Amino acid sequence: MSDRETVEFLATVPLLEGREEAELVELARVMRRRTVREGEILWRQGDHARELVFIVDGAVSASLHLPGDRTVEIGTAGRGEIVGELGLLDGAGHTMSVRVTETATMLALGRLDFAALLAGQHPSAFMLKRRLAALFTARLRVQLRHLAVSLGGEMAGPPAEDAARAFADLENCRPPDSRYVRRMTTFHDFDPLALWGFLTSGSYVRCPPGRTLLAEGAPSTAYYLTINGAVEKVLVRGDWRIRVGLVGPGRAFGYESLIDGRPSPVTAITRERALLLVLPRDLFQQLFNGEDAVSRGFLDVIQKDLIATLRETLRPCARLAASV
Amino acid sequence: MCRILAYLGEPLPVETLLFDTDNSLVRQSYSPRMMNTFLNLAGFGMKAWDPTSLRPEDPFSYRTTTLPSFDRNLRFMSSKLASTCLVAHVRGATYSGEAVVADTNLHPFHFVGARVVLAHNGHLRQFARMRYSLVEHVRPELAQCIEGTTDSEWIYALVLSQLDDPHGVPETRELADATASALRILRDVRAAHGIDTSSPVNLCVSTGRAVVATRVSFDYGWYPPEDEMLETDLPFVSLWYAIGGEYARRDGDWRMTAGDPPRSVIIASEPLTTDFSTWLEVPEYSMLTAELTPEGLEFETRDLDV
Repeated sequence: MSDRETVEFLATVPLLEGREEAELVELARVMRRRTVREGEILWRQGDHARELVFIVDGAVSASLHLPGDRTVEIGTAGRGEIVGELGLLDGAGHTMSVRVTETATMLALGRLDFAALLAGQHPSAFMLKRRLAALFTARLRVQLRHLAVSLGGEMAGPPAEDAARAFADLENCRPPDSRYVRRMTTFHDFDPLALWGFLTSGSYVRCPPGRTLLAEGAPSTAYYLTINGAVEKVLVRGDWRIRVGLVGPGRAFGYESLIDGRPSPVTAITRERALLLVLPRDLFQQLFNGEDAVSRGFLDVIQKDLIATLRETLRPCARLAASV
Repeated sequence: MCRILAYLGEPLPVETLLFDTDNSLVRQSYSPRMMNTFLNLAGFGMKAWDPTSLRPEDPFSYRTTTLPSFDRNLRFMSSKLASTCLVAHVRGATYSGEAVVADTNLHPFHFVGARVVLAHNGHLRQFARMRYSLVEHVRPELAQCIEGTTDSEWIYALVLSQLDDPHGVPETRELADATASALRILRDVRAAHGIDTSSPVNLCVSTGRAVVATRVSFDYGWYPPEDEMLETDLPFVSLWYAIGGEYARRDGDWRMTAGDPPRSVIIASEPLTTDFSTWLEVPEYSMLTAELTPEGLEFETRDLDV
């Protein structure tokens, strides 16, 4: 594969859309090309992440380890897709083992070079963060679909009207003390002024426990950030109900629909009484698509939340697969 | 905050669980991986049942306020002890003059004559306000046994008080129900006092033949202003388990081998290895029960609505 071919390939990768040719040339220069044969393991779950790979051709499979030396396949990836970026972004190791299922040509990008792509105020960095958010949302839907299929049965959560009613009944309240919010890990990297801008951009509501705020299959109308309390995200299939995540302080829900325009992949119900920051769709889009300091902080918060959510969703996947 | 560990299954050197793995319980005292800004330096305690020992129904007991990582006695003893059941605990206490680091505050709690032990990872905020309202829910003979200053010892007395015979060996189901009942009493007493801030109650309760573990928090996500434990309590307090045949070293790595039916389970605040790909997270608001039977290990997870 020549340098020219590499650049031409990179120009077709959706994640890199919007990059200038000169940037792609520079990127091609720092990437390492390699061919990996069918059956080889790229990395094992838990391994320290040193690089992500773009798949030029061939295919890979991602699987989760289970107790008792068993594994379960969660997803696959092929031409134009990337794997390995989660561990690079949060430094917590690879979420799954990746095995080559069809001999593949790959382009590997190291941690520092990937970080450089995301850094700075250039529009392409904002674009990449948005693309990653869309990619992670798509991955999350794959993981949730895997869980839903494992559960079997028809979707049987509370109706969307319950959520609409609950939303209308929420009690508005004052914003929280920003000193408290600053202590949350989610906001450690947020510039103080930008954080203030973010915290004052939406409204605040209190909600009692047991209230359905969002129904699986219905479109979400807002981004919700838990300030206090907890909200559980569940899948309900027939008589089965499985919690796929608990959204505590500093964590968010409801935004997947706002990113990809599809219905909510989960039902969200308050587990504890909760104080929530609510950003309606238009405000969310404004922050998500903006290119100032507040938007940069917000995109980072979304990215962290999606990564944490992806990791968490694998836990019920593993539990369920282990129990079969 | 603290770190807890319970093991039930095939005889296993205690040293393996306390020292050998790269995220062993003792290592979690000075380098916990899943707890922010807090160390567990206020002592160590364990109860270990060894079926080959004298009076095998009584656990081997050890507790000390010294740091377990520097405790040679603990290291020597744990290398000589193969246990079928272990409950161990490293204690964390707030870095303040109010914290009491004393032998009487060390877990697992085990009143004289009782056959149930308990270790706690968590804390009941504003416990001083509710402490004496618990008296009416604790049998007088058990209340008299409370020696220390911790909320955990009261939880222990409360669990024992829910048993038909606090000095007998309860069935696993009775022990699980008693634990759930104790949590409901705590919830009600907190409500009566208007206490509504986050209070994690991860418990390991054991008879030596069975283990009951909970991963629960009251009012999760609500904190008093300027709270010194905030960063530690923002994430739901962790609890993990590994279940299978036996915990053994394979190709240089410690892991639970396959076992169907399972014969061993480890329940711990954190996986005992940095590679936790074969560990499963205990769901929030749930209870695990495990019991050794002639056929193997009976294991169950259930929601805990308290």
